Amino acid sequence: MLWRCCLVLIGALCTPVLSKHLSNEEFREQVSLQTLQDGRVASTFSFNILLKDATPREPRTLIFDDESQHYNLFPLALGQILREYAVTELHLTLNAGKWNYDSWGYPKERDVGTGAALWAWMADGGPTSIDYRWQGLRNALAGLFCASIGSLDEQRTTSPVLPFAPEGSLPDWGVEHELRHASLASEHVCTENLTPFLKLLPCKSLSGIASLLNPHRLFDADWHGMGLHVLWNPDAGVEVRLAFQLVSDPLRISAGKKQDWSFSTLFDRTIERTCPVAQSSIVDVALPREALYNISPEPPRIDQNVAFYDLTNMSEALDVKLKWALDFTYPLDPLKITSMPISVRRTLQGASQDRGQLSLVIKNNAPFPLQVLYLETMPWIVQFYLHTMRVSSDTSGDDFISNISYVPSVPHSRPATFQAVLTLPTESTVYLTIDVTKAFLRYTEHPPDAQRGWDLPPAIILPLSSSNAIRSEFVGRIYTPPLLVDLATPDFSMPYNVIVFSCSLIAFIFGNIFNLLTRKFVVVRLGSQQGTSKSKHD
Amino acid sequence: MKTPSTVPLGLVFSALVASRLLISCTSIHEYLIHDHQLSSPLTSFLNLKEGIYLFNNGVDPYSGGVFRHSPLYLSLFTTILSPSRIIASLLWTLCDSIGAWSMVRIWRARNNIVQSSRDVLVAALYFLNPYLFLPSLAFSTSSIENAVSLLAIMFACERRTSASLLALAFLVQLSLSSVVLIVPIILLLITSPISQLVSPRPFSGKWTQSLGHVFELAIYVLVLTLASTLVSGDFLWISQTWGASLTLPDLTPNPGLWWYFFTEMFDHFRPFFLMVFSVHLLIYIAPICIKFQYDSLYATFLLVGVLGIFKAYLTLSDPGLFLSMISLFPEIYPYFRHPIVTSLLHLHATMLLPLFHRLWLTQGTGNANFFYASTLVFACANGAALVDCVWAGLRIAIGEQVDGYAVTQE
Repeated sequence: MLWRCCLVLIGALCTPVLSKHLSNEEFREQVSLQTLQDGRVASTFSFNILLKDATPREPRTLIFDDESQHYNLFPLALGQILREYAVTELHLTLNAGKWNYDSWGYPKERDVGTGAALWAWMADGGPTSIDYRWQGLRNALAGLFCASIGSLDEQRTTSPVLPFAPEGSLPDWGVEHELRHASLASEHVCTENLTPFLKLLPCKSLSGIASLLNPHRLFDADWHGMGLHVLWNPDAGVEVRLAFQLVSDPLRISAGKKQDWSFSTLFDRTIERTCPVAQSSIVDVALPREALYNISPEPPRIDQNVAFYDLTNMSEALDVKLKWALDFTYPLDPLKITSMPISVRRTLQGASQDRGQLSLVIKNNAPFPLQVLYLETMPWIVQFYLHTMRVSSDTSGDDFISNISYVPSVPHSRPATFQAVLTLPTESTVYLTIDVTKAFLRYTEHPPDAQRGWDLPPAIILPLSSSNAIRSEFVGRIYTPPLLVDLATPDFSMPYNVIVFSCSLIAFIFGNIFNLLTRKFVVVRLGSQQGTSKSKHD
Repeated sequence: MKTPSTVPLGLVFSALVASRLLISCTSIHEYLIHDHQLSSPLTSFLNLKEGIYLFNNGVDPYSGGVFRHSPLYLSLFTTILSPSRIIASLLWTLCDSIGAWSMVRIWRARNNIVQSSRDVLVAALYFLNPYLFLPSLAFSTSSIENAVSLLAIMFACERRTSASLLALAFLVQLSLSSVVLIVPIILLLITSPISQLVSPRPFSGKWTQSLGHVFELAIYVLVLTLASTLVSGDFLWISQTWGASLTLPDLTPNPGLWWYFFTEMFDHFRPFFLMVFSVHLLIYIAPICIKFQYDSLYATFLLVGVLGIFKAYLTLSDPGLFLSMISLFPEIYPYFRHPIVTSLLHLHATMLLPLFHRLWLTQGTGNANFFYASTLVFACANGAALVDCVWAGLRIAIGEQVDGYAVTQE
């Protein structure tokens, strides 16, 4: 008995070591910190879990019982959802705030659209339809992440294949893969979404890089967002990437003077110990190019102006500090600031509650012409008048817009998908306007705070890589900030009154007409003894 | 209209058409085209243009929720005409002229005369009625529907059966609620349009004739439905055009009674009340046609009035047609009970409707109840006019008022 207990104990102790080297799962974690031009600091956490030689479930096997799932590192709760609904590729992002492309540049994690966005590639051919599985997937993820993903119903689901091309590979099962995409700009991301996120990590937030994820500081940041990405790579297997990204402002603490930061000031935590199952665990810090600074502890490796710390053989707690010699001066020249090839501004104009105008202004900062894909997924509450679309530019020429594809919206059920290729001449601005009408909703369709308005999902601009000279780092999706649309509201307090008033009026007119039509006309002699003297008409 | 007898109809008519065309060539339509009282989602010119744009660019306009016009409009504007300003001005002026001319012809047929001094007045009352004039300037297709319905009535009065039934079939294609007019117009075809209100008598037409008319109408409707299906490619247009006036998918405000009722309706009662409101329109057909069996034109007129109050997606054109048609029946004027009240109600409603619409949607200082209340006043005004016309149409048979006697109902 004793030796058996010892064996179990030894086995338990050896598990992390064994899984690190022998199992078919891999866990890698990394955090990248970068000082931005406006003095803020962008931190991008990325946790990669690889399930080697695994394949997504084929929908046709949904009629059979699934093989049993045993994972050491791969999150079981997620694995069960992926297998249950036969999802090949899955992306979920929950972001809060507006990513300021013009001063922050491209984010490391590209999908920074405000609110919740979920898109998945699923194959057809199963016993249940893709839409049915998409519904199940939404509800399961809503439960897993405590987010309102369940309300991403068919009123918000679109299928914009071009801008959301699969990032991994799609298995060749001889059946079509289809995309389902939905976004909810009004979703608020907070600590109740982070807790389930951390639970999916092998070391939770107890050790390793994830121990920096302190909710008090994360949700205090100027911008924060989390993402879950599942994709299949035929050479490697099923990859899960859990990402957290935030933009914190060290200048706020130092009254706008110094942009110094450290793990303790940014996260109020340091990395005390490594995650024992992580194959690699790396902190990288982009070093300033044109300033005097001091980084501590001394980085073991600096490559292309990026300092790397490897945590796998860490001996003491790590608290990276970056200090500047001089006070921060805000760069005032906007031309110097932007590192983006294009700047986008989208607005909804018009004061009336029944119509308006959607306006998109795209500026090409690059010294060469650009082609971008413009995607607008608009809930049916705002309907486009496509015949009023006007595209102009501050340079001469025409044909700024081509390849328009449009799926009109259906009231109470389907959003509109508008997709077009915009050609932006060198260093010019292109203006696009479309008139819109705002729908009038049933009183039960309004949210509880109806007067606040509705958040419209961000538009997506995708620079096309076929454009000449465009660098590969500039081909990610660019999200515009969401819009708020003010819809006319009925009076919520008086459905009964309206029903009573309208019905009374109808009954009154109906009654009067039928009264006149059915009753007999009589001539009455007035003021004397006799009543009816003659009846003529019936 | 000081001395209508001396004014030749041709001169006045062309002057009215010319002034109408002149006004529509100004930019006034820019202010009116978005107005919810002048055009509903089913008749809006902007929606029509959107549908044509989608159709020309290879998107099925009926797959979305904006375009709810008949495929006949689609084929008209994509082949023969283009939906430009000038064409629209000409077409809508033409429709108004056809409407006014039909009114004159109906008037002449009713009195069995070739020409009269009242012709000018009848035409002018159609042209100058603001309820008809303004929707027409906003290029609302309800003006086209009015012209087609007047054409159907005119042909029926003149006993041109096939033309009348064809116009009626077009009317049903363009607006489903017009099925209410089928029965009285067919009755009108087998009786006479000459005024019989003073001397009621049992129905004089031959029933067997009507069967042939119904059959002919069914064929026309079927052919037009097939043509519509050919134009749009599938049967999706039926639910988008006819279905819309039964299921009310678009709750854009209008001066009618449906939109706010179904905005505020509880979801589980919605189908029931949709059924009630649709059936309610049909309920009036039989009693009015039976009661006025001796004067089918009057029955048609009253049912136009019913549509002008209770139709889904009402615009000002619908009650406008009813009010202009009152000019065809001068014999009932002495028997109105409360014409001043009716006129004042109309005045009240026409001032409140645009004002409260603006206060609610543009200024933001009023709420939906303001506009709803003014639609109730408007419905009261139309109801008062209709009830008074029913009363006067029946009362006229009793004859002049005699001192010491009063006419009432048992």
